[in-house]
Amino acid sequence: MSDSASVTPAEPFRQRLIRKLLYGNADRATKARARVGLAMLAFSAVFAVIALRLAMYGVMGDSHSGRRGGAQDAIATARPDILDRNGEILATDVKAASLFAEPRKLIDKDEAIELLTATLPDLDPGEVRDRLSSRKGFVWLKRELTPKQQHDVFKLGLPGVGFLRENKRVYPTGRDVSHLIGLVNIDNQGIAGMEKWLDGNGLADLHRAGFATDRQQEPIELSVDLRVEHALRDELMKAKDKFHAKAASGIVSNVKTGEIVAMVSLPDFDPNNPKEANDPDRINRLTTGVYEMGSTFKAFTLAMALDSGKATLNSLWDTRTPLQYGKFRIHDDHPLGRAITTKEVFTYSSNIGAARIALSQGIEAHKAFLRKMGQLTRLRTELPESASPILPRHWGELNTVTIAFGHGIAVAPLQAVMGIDALVNGGYLIPPTFLKRTEADAMKLAKRVIRQDTSDKMRFLMRLNAEVGTARKADVAGYYIGGKTGTAEKVINGRYAKKKVLNAFTAIMPADNPQYQLLIMLDEPQSLPETHGFITSGWNAVPTGGKVIARIAPLLGVKPRFDLPPSERLILATSRENR
Amino acid sequence: MRIIHFLVICALVISAAYVYRIKMDSTVRTERVLRLRADIREERNKIASLRAEWARLSSPARLQGMVERHLQLKPVEANQFDALKNLPARPPSFIKPNDPDPIGAMIDVVSPDEATGSIPARTPAASAATGGAQ
Repeated sequence: MSDSASVTPAEPFRQRLIRKLLYGNADRATKARARVGLAMLAFSAVFAVIALRLAMYGVMGDSHSGRRGGAQDAIATARPDILDRNGEILATDVKAASLFAEPRKLIDKDEAIELLTATLPDLDPGEVRDRLSSRKGFVWLKRELTPKQQHDVFKLGLPGVGFLRENKRVYPTGRDVSHLIGLVNIDNQGIAGMEKWLDGNGLADLHRAGFATDRQQEPIELSVDLRVEHALRDELMKAKDKFHAKAASGIVSNVKTGEIVAMVSLPDFDPNNPKEANDPDRINRLTTGVYEMGSTFKAFTLAMALDSGKATLNSLWDTRTPLQYGKFRIHDDHPLGRAITTKEVFTYSSNIGAARIALSQGIEAHKAFLRKMGQLTRLRTELPESASPILPRHWGELNTVTIAFGHGIAVAPLQAVMGIDALVNGGYLIPPTFLKRTEADAMKLAKRVIRQDTSDKMRFLMRLNAEVGTARKADVAGYYIGGKTGTAEKVINGRYAKKKVLNAFTAIMPADNPQYQLLIMLDEPQSLPETHGFITSGWNAVPTGGKVIARIAPLLGVKPRFDLPPSERLILATSRENR
Repeated sequence: MRIIHFLVICALVISAAYVYRIKMDSTVRTERVLRLRADIREERNKIASLRAEWARLSSPARLQGMVERHLQLKPVEANQFDALKNLPARPPSFIKPNDPDPIGAMIDVVSPDEATGSIPARTPAASAATGGAQ
């Protein structure tokens, strides 16, 4: 290069000028060397930076590991938490890993099967082999592993086997809330109870659209109080064992808002173990079952008569002889052999009296009244399980006679609870709910069905029954309980069986200003030595109700009061003053 | 001219470096956001499982079992409740604020050697003496 530069002296003037302006006076050869040096420096600097960066990655590792978890749990099955009225968790989601395999990526099928079945003993080897031999790109091996199982499988280091994290529904309180909450299937879709209601109210759409991935959904607050629910279930369990009953169920409802504070139907199931729930014996007897409520229905008959104004508390009804109706003969358990007042019809639970009261009102009025009280139509609540009442096909006089004391019509117990609530809360029929509701909201839905003073009289009758009538054994001191018992003979093969009864007990507390209603039902309780051979409600359902009330009243914040005057003075007198 | 070229090249290099830096920064921050989100999700999941566990441990059914096994507590009865207004008024105080406590003063006065109903005689000599006297 230097030679060629030195042998070019003869250059035109203009060319030399341009070169001078461009490169200055320096020699071109020197320049070229300097440029090469510069280029080498630049490239070595670049490579040094790359090497340094590599070294840094090697030493510090990458910081992207946090992203890996996010990609694997993108299955949109999150459900909102379900809380009780005090914010206790009844149902929630936790993440659980599920094991899947990609058969096409498996290298050694036999080894994989052997290792997996050794680590997870409850896997069926044949089924695993079938699944892994399939041509599919993706197969589930086991859903919802425990963290330890996940760790063990992970340590096997099998290629083509991986984990997906799914939401798993758990019910920490287990059996206490089984029928209320219902349950979900393996894909986290509600299949019963409130869980199904949730799906019906938009959650299913959210799942399909794939938006329900996060925990940011508002929790659902139920009207249920977990403590009351447990106390009720515990006492019902004891009663069911003690009286060898086939089934036991109970409801606590808020009289003024229609909220269901507790609902238990035994036998129940553990929502964490869905297999149990399919047993037909474990249905929710309170909403899905329909029963002849027995004497509990006399409350409706008497309310109808009192509300019509045609009868008063002291009207006399002839119960001297059994009521003959065609080939049927209606008789009383405690025949008095004289004309009795309306009050006595209630406290002695006289079938003849109730039948005569209903007959005095006429068939149409009876039908209309029961329809008004919501006893003749299917009651729908948030719970998907419901049943239509069983009504007589042709409602004749005989039907009115039997329905007056609760035979010949079968209603869902929850329906009866709604009706009794209306009888004692001042005459407002409020549809029951399992969601939290304020009194103001309830009044918007409420429908007046009987007069205020009829409601006062009904409260008086209920209280009187606990003072002198069949509900004496439930009169827990301090809570001023009122109640009505019911013993219905069960229909076996088309006949009423004398020894198989369905006992009910309805209690209100406190009777002078009811806040809560309790319904206890025992299916086929047996007689015990201490019940002196009796199987009527007063000997089993009523004492159970008393125990439940003693336990739940403090939880519900019902203030105990002592030395209250009898119902005649406290309820009837104030009712008259107000008029 | 040379100076202009030099300046333009410098500007080009600097702006390229600057743009690269901004892009790098934003990438780093995006990654940080994603990582934080993942962390938050992870924490939420942990909180949820802890809350579920707490709910299970404090469920009434379990507590009742434990109480029945280990404690002698009994359910509350209605007559164990009372209203605040039923409490008797505080008795009037006969001691002036700065006076010494009269009962405390009485205890101070009692000499330790003196046997009272609840304190047995102290010295073995004294008991020996009484024994001897019998």
